[in-house]
Amino acid sequence: MANIPEVMSDTPTRDDDQTQQPDSQQPAAETPARSSYTDQQKYQVFNKEFMPHIDSMYNFAFRLTMDEDDANDLVQDTYLKAFRFISSFEQGTNAKAWLFRILKNSFINDYRKKSKEPAKVDYQDVETTYNSEDAEAEHTVDLRAETVSDLIGDEVATALNSLPVDFRTVIILCDIEGFTYEEMAKILDIPIGTVRSRLHRARNLLKEKLRDYASSMGYDEESDE
Amino acid sequence: MQTSLPSSSSSPDKPGMKHECGHRADCLKMIQLIVDGEATEQQLARLKDNLETCRPCIEMYHLEREVKELLTKRMEKRCCPDQLIETIKSKILTFS
Repeated sequence: MANIPEVMSDTPTRDDDQTQQPDSQQPAAETPARSSYTDQQKYQVFNKEFMPHIDSMYNFAFRLTMDEDDANDLVQDTYLKAFRFISSFEQGTNAKAWLFRILKNSFINDYRKKSKEPAKVDYQDVETTYNSEDAEAEHTVDLRAETVSDLIGDEVATALNSLPVDFRTVIILCDIEGFTYEEMAKILDIPIGTVRSRLHRARNLLKEKLRDYASSMGYDEESDE
Repeated sequence: MQTSLPSSSSSPDKPGMKHECGHRADCLKMIQLIVDGEATEQQLARLKDNLETCRPCIEMYHLEREVKELLTKRMEKRCCPDQLIETIKSKILTFS
């Protein structure tokens, strides 16, 4: 995809979702991509393939930005971008993953700087910490399933929001939106192995937050030992 | 796939149940793959073994499932405001 100059670097291309492409439909790299759909077809694809995902997209945007106005702007920008580059979307491929990828990139490019990051933790720092051997030793968080089942949505949302955005993102994609690791790898432009390890670390961090929260609320008084 | 796995973390221990797990970090990684439906048959078989013989693995498994369920089912889903849908639809009409 890096060799398709007409398409913005943050816009997914057909190659992402399908390796073999119907040759008649495929625009040459130099041809402006939009030539392959008529205007009417563009609206059809947009309404049929893109609009059904708008609630998920909004939810994702809101979980990323944690702000309704920013989520509005982000979803609008993403859909307009999706329309502008609609010819690089191939009908029948994974529209939801394609849209999520555009949204994620727009967020990184435009919103991340101004979004209210609660924890001023650099992702790299966290990753380094969690890669260290010490981290392996204490990788299991002392939290009981029974304690977790007492928590409610708002409490989880608070814990989730307090995670650095890269960790928050993998949890949203996997657990809230139900993407597979493979889809997540495409959305985030990272190898599957990185998806797996980032998710693992994200969940450990989340469990620590939940444990802290539960113990501050006295949910865990009934200790088993 | 999960029907034969123990349904409760507090079910009574079978004879020979281990109370220490020597490779918790590795087991946890495998457990997460299974909870996400991303495990191979081989990993699934290995975990099934563990879930019959290793108390810490049973507990980790239940915790991971509980956390995932919390995220999947108990988080409020925000819906896109109608106003925004209208705005997007009208904006793309002026595009081409």
